[in-house]
Parts: sequence; structure tokens; C-alpha cells
Amino acid sequence: MAIPGLHLTQIGSDDFLLEPTRNLNIRAQDVLLESITARLQQAGAARLYYDLSEQPLIDPVYYGWLDALARTIQAINVRMVCIHMQPTAAFALSKFMLEVPVFETALDISGWQKTGQ
Amino acid sequence: MAQQKATDASVKLAELLKLQVGSLAEAIEKEGQNIFGGSNNLLGTDEINDFCIEFLELLVALLQSKDPHDDASPQFHALEMYFNNLSKQILVRGGRVEDLVRYIQFMQRTLIDALGNEKRITVDDARTMLLFLSGLFNELILAVFQAYLEEKERTVYAQEAELRETATPITEIWDGVLTLPIIGTLDSNRTMLVMEALLNRIAKEHASAVVIDLTGVKNIDSQVSHHLIQMVQAVQLMGSDAIITGIRPEIARALISLNIDLSNVTTRASLSDGLKEAFRRMGILVGKKAD
Repeated sequence: MAIPGLHLTQIGSDDFLLEPTRNLNIRAQDVLLESITARLQQAGAARLYYDLSEQPLIDPVYYGWLDALARTIQAINVRMVCIHMQPTAAFALSKFMLEVPVFETALDISGWQKTGQ
Repeated sequence: MAQQKATDASVKLAELLKLQVGSLAEAIEKEGQNIFGGSNNLLGTDEINDFCIEFLELLVALLQSKDPHDDASPQFHALEMYFNNLSKQILVRGGRVEDLVRYIQFMQRTLIDALGNEKRITVDDARTMLLFLSGLFNELILAVFQAYLEEKERTVYAQEAELRETATPITEIWDGVLTLPIIGTLDSNRTMLVMEALLNRIAKEHASAVVIDLTGVKNIDSQVSHHLIQMVQAVQLMGSDAIITGIRPEIARALISLNIDLSNVTTRASLSDGLKEAFRRMGILVGKKAD
């Protein structure tokens, strides 16, 4: 079943790609978290790639959403990797981020780097 | 009534210019040669002649327009743009704004002299024409100064951009590995500029690792060290790996006394060690060729 505001696609045996659309309503965070987690759990996912290529800016509200999603899926043993973060978003996020984020980051799906060193 | 008088005077002035166009053009061209031509090498003879003829044509067009005093008319704007372009051309070639202003004043003087040669002009007409020419040339000198300032601003901006570029030489030393040697004093403004350039370069080159070398940094304060940590965080957020190298003992001591947490930052003693670490993480093996 489609989740409003995002595309969640299985891209490997246990990898998923989440592509948010412009309609993503992060105010309805609880519903979204439950739907995404249920879908990942059902498929036995191990990793979720969150595509940030269409997100030019990450403010504390959006960071809160990413943080909540990463923590929630961590509870079912799924790692979240944010990919394609834009320079402007990284710049803005680094200005207010006080600790290492729960999610990992990579240039793209084939990226090798982990943030939580 | 006054408006009609001014218009009549403008028509008479236009006629006078047409009658004396040969001598006027000759005088203005000659002065143009003295100031911009010859050894000054700012404008060629043909360019000076063309500019002179264009000026007289534009002036006549303005004098024959509906209201020559209207500084919003297309004819006035054309004359303004003519001087704007002339000054830009001369300044770009290394000319001085003072010479250009002297040239414009010479043009004005030549036109006023031409009035004196014409016996049919009444004192009243001459007064109106002088007032008109004085106002017109003041506006044209302003246009020249405006162009001069624009050109200066453009030069300063270009120089600043060049300085920024040379102060942050981000180099792709290997496929996907960027190096950024920072030399001199780091202040908040410069750190922000470096950060912006670095993040854009990571996105452009798709770089997996960045080695930031601080060997040339002599001083660091609390704010700058905070920005440095932010830079490392931003690099990591983009999915690239940041390695800081060449931290001098006094900088290391300063960082510790400022309570800067380096636990999430990969550091190495030298640029060479930093590159080795980047290569190791990327699975690149660099060694001597076996005999």
C-alpha cells in the first residue's frame, strides 16, 4: 500500500529506498513512522536509504523528522543512510547540530562512508 | 513661454551644430587623439572619429527631440549610454577617469566657442543655450563617474573572488580525494567561505574523502575551532570522510583548552599520513613497484 508523501521502493534483498515527494507532511509524523516501520518489518529490511537530493535545506523540524525515523527503524534493526545531501542542507544542518546524528550518510547508495565513526 | 523659448534655442543650436559640424568634429577629434590616441594607445584613430561623429549625431538628435530638457527621453538616454560605454571602454583599457572628464569638458568648451562665432544668436538665446549645455554636460559627467564606479566595483569584486579562490586551493589529488591546505589566519568569515567552497566541490567531484591540512595555520580561536568542527560535520553529512592533518602543537593545545571535542574527527599528524588514511579507507593501495 502506498504511503502518502513518499515512495518506498525495495532495491535489493534487504535494502529500501525512500524518496520523499513535495507532499510529504512531516507533521503527521506518527502515522508516517508507523507505516514505514510496518512496511520495512514486513519485508525484513536491513537498511533504508533516505534520498535527500530534493531537500535543499534541513531545518530543526526536518532534522527532528529524520532523527525520529532513524531511531524508530533502529528499534527493528534497520539502519538509515541519508544519501545525496545537498551542500546547502549540510551547511545548514551543521550549524545547529549538537551531536552525531543517529542516521548514517553516504554520497549515494554505493557510498562507503559512515558518519558514526 | 519659457518652454517655447528653450525649444527655439535648442532648434537654433541644432542648426548651428549642423552648420559647423566639420570644424567641431575636427576639434573634438584632435583633442581625442591627444588624450586617447598616439602613445596613450587607448583608442584607435578610427574609433576616435567614430565616437566623435556619433556624439554629434546623438546631440543633434537630442536637440531636435520634443523636449531636449527631458532627462527621461530616449534621446537623452542614448547620449548617456554613449558616454557610459565610452568610459567603460577607456577604463577597461587602462585609461584615467580624469582624462575622460577633461575630454568631455573640452567638448562643452568647443560647443560654447561655436556659439560665439555665430553672430545671429541673441544674448537671450545664448544664455538659454549655455544653461542647457551646462546642465547636459553635468549629467554626462555624472554618467561617466557612474560607469567608473561600476567598473571599479566590478574589478574589486573580481579581485576578491580571485583572492578567495587562491586562498582556498581545493585540489582533487586522487579520484574522489580532495585536499584543502589552509594557510594563514583563519577567521570566521574565511572559514565560512572555505566551507561553502568545499561542500560545493564535494558535490561536484563526488568526493569520498577530504584531507584538510592545517600545517599553515598559526592561530585559532574558540569561534574558528567551532566552525572547523562544523566544517567536518558538514563534510560527513554529505557522506564524505573528513581527515584533519598538520595540527601544530600550539593549535592542539588551544583546541584542548577551548574544550573542543575532536572525538568524532579523524586526525593525522601530517598531510602524507592523512592521504594514506584516505587511500586506506577507499581501498587504494599505493606502493613501490616490485623489481
